[in-house]
Amino acid sequence: MTAQRPRLPQTLRRPGAGGMSRRSVLGGMAAGLAASGLPGAALAQDDGIALLTWDAYADPRLLDMWRSQTDVPIRYEIHISDPTSVNRLRAGETSVWNFINLNNPWAREIMYPEDLIYALPRDRFEPLYAQMFEKFAMPYDWALSKDGENLLGVVQRFETFDFVVNSDVISPAMAKDEGWDLFNNPDFAGRYGILAYEDWNVMDICMGAGIHPFKPKTEADYAKFEDTARAWINNAKMITTDFVQLNLAMLNGEIDLYFTGGTYTASSARAEGATNIYAITPNSGPADGKGGINWIELNSAVANPAGKEATFDFLEWITTPDAAEIVARGNGNLQPVSQMAQDEVLGRFSADELNAIQWDEFDERIANAVEFDIVPDYDRLYDIYSAAIRDRG
Amino acid sequence: MSPGRTGYLFALPVALFLLAGFATPIGIVAWYSLMEPRTFALTAETTLTNYRAAFTEGYGPPFFWSITGAVATTLACALLAWPTAKMLHQLAGRGAAVLTGLIAVPIFVSESVRLFGMSLFLMPGGGILAGSLRALFDVNIGTVLNTKLGVFLGMVYVHFPFMLFPLLLGVALIPQDRRDAARDLGASRWQILREVELPLAMPGLIIGALLTFVLCVGANAEAAILGGQAISVVTRAIEQRFSYAQDWPMGAALTMLVVAVTALVVFPALARIDLNKLIRR
Repeated sequence: MTAQRPRLPQTLRRPGAGGMSRRSVLGGMAAGLAASGLPGAALAQDDGIALLTWDAYADPRLLDMWRSQTDVPIRYEIHISDPTSVNRLRAGETSVWNFINLNNPWAREIMYPEDLIYALPRDRFEPLYAQMFEKFAMPYDWALSKDGENLLGVVQRFETFDFVVNSDVISPAMAKDEGWDLFNNPDFAGRYGILAYEDWNVMDICMGAGIHPFKPKTEADYAKFEDTARAWINNAKMITTDFVQLNLAMLNGEIDLYFTGGTYTASSARAEGATNIYAITPNSGPADGKGGINWIELNSAVANPAGKEATFDFLEWITTPDAAEIVARGNGNLQPVSQMAQDEVLGRFSADELNAIQWDEFDERIANAVEFDIVPDYDRLYDIYSAAIRDRG
Repeated sequence: MSPGRTGYLFALPVALFLLAGFATPIGIVAWYSLMEPRTFALTAETTLTNYRAAFTEGYGPPFFWSITGAVATTLACALLAWPTAKMLHQLAGRGAAVLTGLIAVPIFVSESVRLFGMSLFLMPGGGILAGSLRALFDVNIGTVLNTKLGVFLGMVYVHFPFMLFPLLLGVALIPQDRRDAARDLGASRWQILREVELPLAMPGLIIGALLTFVLCVGANAEAAILGGQAISVVTRAIEQRFSYAQDWPMGAALTMLVVAVTALVVFPALARIDLNKLIRR
């Protein structure tokens, strides 16, 4: 793979950029306000950019580096879920946000057809794909409009997200072979936790019920889904939105495994030496023979004329080695980024860090996973899932 | 200008603020609750579908746990706060301020942070309590984490100050000479408590109970952090409808039902207390 350095955004080439300024301080204050939970619309709309994003792009080091290099204010809000943020744009928040970072299907299937995001200039952004892994070689469908004409975003973070075991109790090889049936096994009732990333839980329960999560369901499928959802939820030792709690519960012997999870939830604990916290992607499953789910984040420019050029600059800038490195370490959770195809980026990670993201198994995980997609009839599945949660206690 | 009219004039800014900041959002939520499920428009035909669903689609357990938890926590906090308030009142000027400060300071720390701290304390194996007992005394204990009891302990821990401080005001309303007189007339301790102290401290007790109850009905973090969702509370169900389900009308209907339950408890209780009496003291 060629490792050509990306062209620097125009703003980065401007002499005198960087250093502390009133604007950067105000930008920091705006980010602070955003972090304090004020809705984005309540903040002053200036000539900066606003990110609606998963956590990696909210890393203070990344934001500070952007501010110091460009003098362009930046603020953010972290998603609750992909569909929630898409609905916010639909509800008119395209005037609030500039950058949106969602899993792969949303740009192509929903946001671009509904004019919620801009197409990117192909001559400027397509060369960035040549610096990524072969998987993303153009034409890369998830980054293109359905007719293949328009480029809709820049791929960066990607991984599988399935389940995590305590390798001192359950051998990873056995866990990969057994796959989702581990959670159907009565021996593990009361021995596992659930990370309540609920849209992901729905997909996992599909897998456990032997149903392809991304294909239409029959009535028999819904019945199987309900049986599995109720069994898995009732047999869970704990359900939480905090994966640190789940990792601690594994280290303390309260549980032996949990779903949903992956290197995103395991890597920080592994980096601190708890290498028995082990991300698993099943060797097989009901999704065209695959049992894992591979998410790919696509970074797109929201259809907001204010800050459009600065957003394009930001989309290009995050692929530079320094920025990509911070994204890969975003908020302390090590995650692979597409730029790790470049030796210059990969070389910045120590052997321990690569061990933390189980880099030696990365290709195997990706190969055993179906690519993330929109779940058909999600509403009905989610209603079954949430009813089971309500009945739990 | 008459004094009455001046009073209304002075109250106008607050009234406008409450109208904009309190009544209007409640009105919007109430209107949303009448929209079709999983829609975002506010101009469609109204329907009671969401309210019917609230009674037919398994929302009973979350309401049950929220209300039962709130009642149980309020009672437990009252039982704990009464002797504490009396002790602090008697210690007035002799360390009471330090003790009060120790109880009050945690309120300034985020509730989630406190609950995560408690979670680390109660964790089995390497948790602070279990690990220390094993290391020091070779004693192995289990844990109440991820159980209903864990949720209850967390609720009492978090809400105790909200009962204590109003009750302190209530206890201050009891004149010592009334107690002395009752004792001189041969009243037992139980009679003094029931017939003298409780009626006089009732305004503080009711305000504390209301604060605790209302906060507990809206509590979610205890079940999430200490309970491992061993129970599902109604605020969790509401959050699910607004977030992952993207069903704002249903979330709004559940919210209105919680408001109704709270109002059913709060208004009759408020009617029983004389706030002026409490404030003048």
